[in-house]
Amino acid sequence: MNEKGSEPGVQGGHGGGSALNRDEVIGGILIFCFGVVTAYFSLRIPLGTFRAAGSGLFPLGLGILLMGLSIVLLIKAYVQGRPVIEKKPLSEVPRSVKQVILFMGAIALATLLFKQLGYPLMWFLLLFALLRILGVRRWALNLSLCFLTATGAYFLFVLWLQIPLPKGWIGL
Amino acid sequence: MFESLQHLIAGFGIALTIHNLFYCLIGAIIGTLIGVLPGLGPIAGIALLIPATYNLNAVSAIIMLAGIYYGAMYGGSTTSILLNVPGETASVITCIDGYQMAQKGRAGPALATCAIGSFIAGTIAILGLVFLAPPLAEAALSFGPAEYFSLMVFGFIVLCNVTGTSLVKSLMMAVVGLIIGTIGLDPVSGVARFTFDSMDLLSGIEFVAVAIGLFGIGEVLANVEKPLESLEGKVLVPRLRELYPTLEDLKKSIKPILRGTAVGFGVGLVPGPAPVIATYSSYMIERNVSKHPEEFGKGAIEGVAGPEAANNSACQAAFIPLFVLGIPFAPPTAILLGALLIHGVSPGPMLIGDHPQLFWGVIASMYIGNFILLLLNLPFVPLFANILRIPKKVLLPLVILFCVTGMYTVNNSVVDIWMMLLFGAIGYLLRKLDYEAAPLLLALVLGPKLEVAFRQSLMISHGDFRVFLDRPISMGFLLATLLFLLIPVFRIIVKSTGKGGGFRRSVGGEKV
Repeated sequence: MNEKGSEPGVQGGHGGGSALNRDEVIGGILIFCFGVVTAYFSLRIPLGTFRAAGSGLFPLGLGILLMGLSIVLLIKAYVQGRPVIEKKPLSEVPRSVKQVILFMGAIALATLLFKQLGYPLMWFLLLFALLRILGVRRWALNLSLCFLTATGAYFLFVLWLQIPLPKGWIGL
Repeated sequence: MFESLQHLIAGFGIALTIHNLFYCLIGAIIGTLIGVLPGLGPIAGIALLIPATYNLNAVSAIIMLAGIYYGAMYGGSTTSILLNVPGETASVITCIDGYQMAQKGRAGPALATCAIGSFIAGTIAILGLVFLAPPLAEAALSFGPAEYFSLMVFGFIVLCNVTGTSLVKSLMMAVVGLIIGTIGLDPVSGVARFTFDSMDLLSGIEFVAVAIGLFGIGEVLANVEKPLESLEGKVLVPRLRELYPTLEDLKKSIKPILRGTAVGFGVGLVPGPAPVIATYSSYMIERNVSKHPEEFGKGAIEGVAGPEAANNSACQAAFIPLFVLGIPFAPPTAILLGALLIHGVSPGPMLIGDHPQLFWGVIASMYIGNFILLLLNLPFVPLFANILRIPKKVLLPLVILFCVTGMYTVNNSVVDIWMMLLFGAIGYLLRKLDYEAAPLLLALVLGPKLEVAFRQSLMISHGDFRVFLDRPISMGFLLATLLFLLIPVFRIIVKSTGKGGGFRRSVGGEKV
């Protein structure tokens, strides 16, 4: 459990003497923008009065509160600052992050084709791709794992629990 | 008191039907598995299994889901002891002495102490639940919208104060959760908000998608990024005959178990990640009262018995605010609130009167579940430990496929899967940027209630904000909220005067 009230590793009170923490600033700005968007769209919904609050009043208040909190975070990051850990340029994506992107990409593609492929085939292909991404290189092991689990999932969810999952063009 | 006992006996009648016993057993087994597997906590586990309960009646569904919650608490200690990797966050403390015991060839007694301690704590906590819930529910009947609003604000602030690395960041997450909770039809006027003319968004963001995304997919992605070999260490699997603790072990454990139970029960009643705080507090107490504090960290059985009892006791006590007030104080109970609402049950002061079968049936099932877990955990520990031998590179893709299947079955909608993936990516980014997702989830579930309470309060007072201060209970909660907001300021002052000093230790890659 980390202590509260201070960021881990923060050097404390350098008054801008040290560089800003990039992650803190990125997070703060992103959430500030989310607050601005919320407040903007809230203004397009009836606000009403405090006596009879409209639908937009509560989200507007939340948007403004979020902007305020983001500003507090950014000020804190500026005031406390901490030495920036030497980071590689953004163009050089680490191998581990590439793995995450590939992993998510495979899931997104399978979701896109879920209805067309049908449940068992989607399971088979997605599992095969994910295992390959994570380094299960032996074809026999990979294929047999995919086949066995896809069959098991089909029997469990489709035949036993009778969940209406997409059949796809193989019709299973 | 006798009336409660009579109701409890009736509850046993409900919980002991073959149907409910079966779901209690299933919940306990799945919960233990979820607890055993690092990276899949009770939040994702419950969320994942909610769709499987759609065809069940509310009593059986909640019996199973509650079983997953406390079963995960039992199972979480297994990986802590055998691998020095906590199965879920509440088991972090168990790593300290549990793993040391395993290193000395005493994994069996450590695991057995966990199971016995959890059983005793669970049993006592259920008795507390039986006798405390009805009078509290009666007291809660006097709560109006202003009291509920202040109580929820208090809950958010306490949760934000004790989770994550920064109060500001946790508050930001809570506000983001509240904003996401406003998507869909306004609960008061029925006006569509932030739907951008999409029919899929009219009923709001599916909270199961958010829960599985943030805690299931997000956790898997965070694991994918790690070198996978790091969690595939040699598992020490104890043999059955090595499991049973000696009489000396039991003598040493009993007082820590009782103290842990009391601490856990108290902590479970207040907002926050109760099991985590309870285990931490119990460990500190045991170390302070011990005649041999130097043994802590080197395999002291008291350092396992106390926290594990506290963990389970807190988990059971956390059902009191959920059932009695209808307000969950922690993310796992927030998921259970969502499940209750899906099954058409609205928890609150009227729950005991309106749905006695559910209330007393679930409580009785928790006792039975604890007994099942005691029976399961001792002889089947070698089996559960063997599950840890499944390589993570096989386990993680399977978790993803179960998430996709579970998500689709909620509404038979691919849009929900996209939503889950979106929140999975957000969950991963939050971990990277060091934000805590728990306040977001709790705020998402409680958001609509908070808004309704806020607007009703202002309507009653004709727009006068003093309504929150004029009512004594509401003012009490707001004063307590203010106190919790000032805690970080006091900490900074204490730190700057050089009196600060904390207890920090790295266990299994997590700071405690």
